[in-house]
Amino acid sequence: MPTLEEIKNLVGQIPDPDEGGSYANLDMNKVEQIEKVIAQLHKGGRDSVLGLVDMLVEPGKGDDIKARFALHLLAVHVTRKGHEQARSEFIQAVASQVYGDRPKAVQIYLIERLQLAGTKAIVGTLGKALLDPELCDPAARALTSIRDGAAEQLLLALSKVRGSQRLSIINSLAVLRAEEAADAFRKALRDPDPDTRIAAAWGIARIADASASEVLLKCAEDHKGWERINETDACLALAENLVAAGKRSKASAIYSHLRRTRTDLPERHIYETAAQGMMTTR
Amino acid sequence: MSRQHISRRRFLATTATTAAITIVSRHVLGGRRHTPPSEILTAGLIGCGGQGGEDLNTYIRAPGGDYKLLAACDVDKGRLDRARRKFGEHVELYTDWRRVIERKDIDVISIATPPHWHALMCIAAAQAGKDILCEKPMTRFIAEGRAVVTAVKRYGRVFQTIHKIMRSGLLRYCPAVYIQQGFFPVLRYCGKVNLKPLPVPGHLDWDMYCGPSPLRPYHPHRFGGTHRLYWDYEGGSLADFAQHHVDPFQWIYGKDDTSPVEVEACAAPTHHDACGLWAWVELKYADGLTLVLDGNEWGPRYDRKEPRHVEISDLDEESHKKVEAMPEPEPLLWFVEAVKTRKEAGGHVEASHRAVTIAHLSNIAIRLGRKIKYDPVKEEIVGDEVANRLVYQPMRRPWHI
Repeated sequence: MPTLEEIKNLVGQIPDPDEGGSYANLDMNKVEQIEKVIAQLHKGGRDSVLGLVDMLVEPGKGDDIKARFALHLLAVHVTRKGHEQARSEFIQAVASQVYGDRPKAVQIYLIERLQLAGTKAIVGTLGKALLDPELCDPAARALTSIRDGAAEQLLLALSKVRGSQRLSIINSLAVLRAEEAADAFRKALRDPDPDTRIAAAWGIARIADASASEVLLKCAEDHKGWERINETDACLALAENLVAAGKRSKASAIYSHLRRTRTDLPERHIYETAAQGMMTTR
Repeated sequence: MSRQHISRRRFLATTATTAAITIVSRHVLGGRRHTPPSEILTAGLIGCGGQGGEDLNTYIRAPGGDYKLLAACDVDKGRLDRARRKFGEHVELYTDWRRVIERKDIDVISIATPPHWHALMCIAAAQAGKDILCEKPMTRFIAEGRAVVTAVKRYGRVFQTIHKIMRSGLLRYCPAVYIQQGFFPVLRYCGKVNLKPLPVPGHLDWDMYCGPSPLRPYHPHRFGGTHRLYWDYEGGSLADFAQHHVDPFQWIYGKDDTSPVEVEACAAPTHHDACGLWAWVELKYADGLTLVLDGNEWGPRYDRKEPRHVEISDLDEESHKKVEAMPEPEPLLWFVEAVKTRKEAGGHVEASHRAVTIAHLSNIAIRLGRKIKYDPVKEEIVGDEVANRLVYQPMRRPWHI
């Protein structure tokens, strides 16, 4: 079990960046030196991780270049095949440090390491971070990357947040194609925020929710500009996904509607895309 | 002669060609039925930095067409002021590119922003029924490319990535391996690891600049050309240069619709934020063809195979027969002719996606420091779930692909 001093000593052995602040100065000896340090930190397990995390500071408030570099390299290192136990220890240790009085920028840095190395084992930590306005979006992205167990955490948090946090969560559920979010997507189509409505429309398309096709078409119909462009695209994507799912009549209804309503010259390409799509429903 | 057409065999002998073409009005081009006020394409420019506007000249005006710039957009008001002086008072200026996409009177969108925005802008332009000129690299990660391909095909748009198609003259032929050596400036593409936050200048919309990438503290090195040195916005010299070299390689070897299946890199340990040093990347296709990107500036030399510069006349009989047996690839079209004929442009969307995938796969192998296996059909890394997190990188709200 390395002491904090030993960890600091190890981190200190990572070469300094060059005068310009980059690592363009690494030669093979220095590369080897870095690899040795990471191997030693790896052996130190949880204590190494906690020591490295303790060395992180808010950007601009001190020099933690080497500690940040080391923590990241360790995150990559433990994701190699055969290091499953080390990976589990690493992410549990990082997850245990996400909260508390650490600066938000440090917390976000830790969440980003979990985005790379995290597994289902720590999604609860990220779920809790969704409730923090500053951590919500990074946490939602981390959950999206981890995937396994993410939708459950996102849905749990959804009812407890508002505004931009709600957008982050709906957006991530849509990326994940979370079928269990179908009700949430339909409800979010009526959200006061246009970006949330767009994300919800996209989610409906991605899960091929046939039951939402009429409300989605109406939503696109009622809006102008950027929102109309995006929601119309969601209608077309929904139709394509319905065809792929064998629900051709539902898709046909969407295409028919768009052919009927998008006849003005600036939306001619929608008409034509719908006409093309209609052929796939036969 | 309006095609940028060159035979594979002549090309292999390091030949290059260019061509001139003529423009016709948009209303006879197929697609939208409106008649523009003249036989001139109407254009919107997103990104008014160094390359902004040049692409329209190169890909529309130089081949004999013409365009009228109606809108220009940048997150930097200083650049917009310069754009006003450069393009004239008639050009409407914007700081939010979505307002350019919304305009119903624009035929073509030229995208010259940093690459972390490219995919979203391409997709939105396609959704709005516009044809697209996009700077290289086409995307920042692999899944973005597939999303762009889907959008462009869904709406039947013309798309072309800006790179030195067929004009680099840098290719060398070898039956088993192609080695691109020494055209990747590795050392000066290392980002800084000691950036200290600075106040955001009043003329810059930093939040909009970061866009789908994580919102980092402002530092000028993340902006204005040196953005290339950071993973959040581009991906170092491989992302910046590979598309130039790889697009013609993939085309000439008939790989426009596929990707390598194994990727191995030799690189220094890689920073989480700043791009760093790499020596070479070896990419193998399913048929055994090997592509080597050799930075030739740092680290151990690639010594598994010997690079060869071979003229067609130098080939042995068997290799010569193989080359002769290769079917001629489809002719490449300039953007403006593709708009006219509604055919695919050279560097079209699928080919462009597959070309930049090479850079992205290389960078994934570099960032993870391990060999990866890739499924070119599913476009997923095989047996390495963490590596797939770099194939699809979730975006900051409200963005998604």
